[in-house]
Amino acid sequence: MEGIADFMDALIGGVDLSFYCMTIGGLLWGFFVLKPWEHHPLYNDALLTTSVKLIRIGAYAVAITQVFKIILKIWLMTATLERWPFPAFAETVQFQAGIVRALFAVVLGYYAHKTLSYNTHSHYYWTNAVLLSLPVIIASAWLVHGASRLDNRLLLMTLASLHQVAAAAWVGSIFQILAVWHLKQKNKINAELWPALLWRFSPMGMISVLAILATGIPIALNYIDSWNGFIGTGYGNLLLVKIFMLIIALGFAYVNHRNVHAFFLNGRNHNLECRVPYYIETELLVLITLLFTAASLASQPPAVDIPTLTASWQEVLHTFAPRIPRLQSPSHEALLAGEAGRVAIVGQIPSEAATAWSDYNHNISGIFLTVMSLFAMLSYNTKYAWAKYWPVGFILLGIFLFFRSDAETWPLGPIGFWESTFNNGEVLQHRIATLLVFMLGVMEVKARMTTDPNSKLPYVFPVLSAFGGLMLLAHSHVGFQPKTAFLIQVGHTLMGLFALILACGRWLELKLDSPVKEWAGFVSVFALFQIGIILMFYQEPLY
Amino acid sequence: MKKIHLLITFFLVVFSSQILSHAVVTHSSLDVTEIKANQPTQVRLTFNSRVELDLSQIFLVSRGDKMQLVNASLGQNPGQVVIDLPALQPGEYALKLSIFAADGHLSEDIVRFHVLPETVTK
Repeated sequence: MEGIADFMDALIGGVDLSFYCMTIGGLLWGFFVLKPWEHHPLYNDALLTTSVKLIRIGAYAVAITQVFKIILKIWLMTATLERWPFPAFAETVQFQAGIVRALFAVVLGYYAHKTLSYNTHSHYYWTNAVLLSLPVIIASAWLVHGASRLDNRLLLMTLASLHQVAAAAWVGSIFQILAVWHLKQKNKINAELWPALLWRFSPMGMISVLAILATGIPIALNYIDSWNGFIGTGYGNLLLVKIFMLIIALGFAYVNHRNVHAFFLNGRNHNLECRVPYYIETELLVLITLLFTAASLASQPPAVDIPTLTASWQEVLHTFAPRIPRLQSPSHEALLAGEAGRVAIVGQIPSEAATAWSDYNHNISGIFLTVMSLFAMLSYNTKYAWAKYWPVGFILLGIFLFFRSDAETWPLGPIGFWESTFNNGEVLQHRIATLLVFMLGVMEVKARMTTDPNSKLPYVFPVLSAFGGLMLLAHSHVGFQPKTAFLIQVGHTLMGLFALILACGRWLELKLDSPVKEWAGFVSVFALFQIGIILMFYQEPLY
Repeated sequence: MKKIHLLITFFLVVFSSQILSHAVVTHSSLDVTEIKANQPTQVRLTFNSRVELDLSQIFLVSRGDKMQLVNASLGQNPGQVVIDLPALQPGEYALKLSIFAADGHLSEDIVRFHVLPETVTK
């Protein structure tokens, strides 16, 4: 049940944070970048009403996700305790702060909908909207990690809230910038607004990044007290991934800033029209993945609390050490024989067969992906155009996983297909992952065969890859000892990061012009190659 | 209604994954005091966060993974939980914890321990 709870927390937490950023960031965008009360001659109703619409949608969505989170908690507690959790749950801070947050989000959404959208040029109404967002921000403070801490509670809650607002200023503004781009594409606003607003956003973007660092660093220092804690725990590991993603997003932000600067300096318009919008789309993809990772981080125990469960940097490095892939699987009988002891709570006996079975599955999958990535690299040479059908490997991988993922179930094991699929969460998860891999292959092969230049099929691949990356970033294994779980998680987290790079690279390859599209495509397949290498050398600790 | 329940279950099960969660045991009296055979005992666990005990459950697990719900109360210190264990025969046991932390995270943990024969503990 805990595994379900944590992943759902991370998933809904990520959705919630994205809408929170859309709302709070949208207000900050209006207040500090647009400043409609200054009556800019280029502004029109389309621009301002779209801006307010995003704020309104975000606020209502925050309320809905918050209520859904509460319902989810009630459901989980009812299932876990096997009784109705009220009135005890009603007395928790979680319930009370959650309800307050949802109510004020509705009030804010309603105000944006019924008042601000009809008075978009009024400083007074924008100020009111910002003031109405304060209760949402304050209520959010009671729902962060720091709220349950025994020490430095108020400080941690304050820092976490400011950290969220700083992130919202950046992410929310990116939502608004993309809305401006779409309005420009539809000729609904003056074209000059595009570079002008990008330029006006730069100072706020820089301040928000500084604020993210200024609030994030003290939080990190409070939760992680050693280098081992940074490298050898799930908390530190996810934070490291967040830092990598921040660097990638900052890279895009820097390139965009340079291009806007070049436009105002030399009047060069090409990059501003043909590249910057797609860099911004990719930046948003990275930032949203970062928000999901942040939500996932909230369900990890801080490194400072688990010194005895922390892995050393040598142990972490060892998980990535090159080794001969396992090409021989243990017998099915040997695997099943060890299962009862492996899953026992009292008298647990580690199963070598289970570890070897898992290693074989991972290593063979790694060989599949590595070979596919090599074909993908080859396909960039026009002499080997046939190699562009490398995604057919996903279809074969899907078939392999179908037979190997759950040895105790059909088709290899005694438990029937329907019985295993709908009675066991892990089996169901594997079945869906297998189907996804198979469909990814089918869709991408079809996308590469289509002659329709307007086909949307090619976009399925980066979207599914990003979703896969998201899953990997919140992935670990129920039933393991905590340190073992972390040593498995560290590889999956790195693969999640590469899956994000794979998605971003492919997205840019589809959107950009030459020669940048080829570079982006190559980065994308190189990320696939890295995932293949990690899987090929994967070795599960004996547990 | 049953369909909605099934749908939610399906959705939750599909996306299940992590094990480590927020509330973890930072101190356990089991680390410093052995449990004596055939005597009721109190075990003190300290968590890294505040615990909503009314929404938590603790099971004693004995060989064969037989589970028995045990009584627990809040200790004097923040984050501390006191568990009442019945008189136990020598052998291997575990405490299976389902803890609802004040930050809203449901955490599950297993604390394994041994009860040694009286001659050994003496």
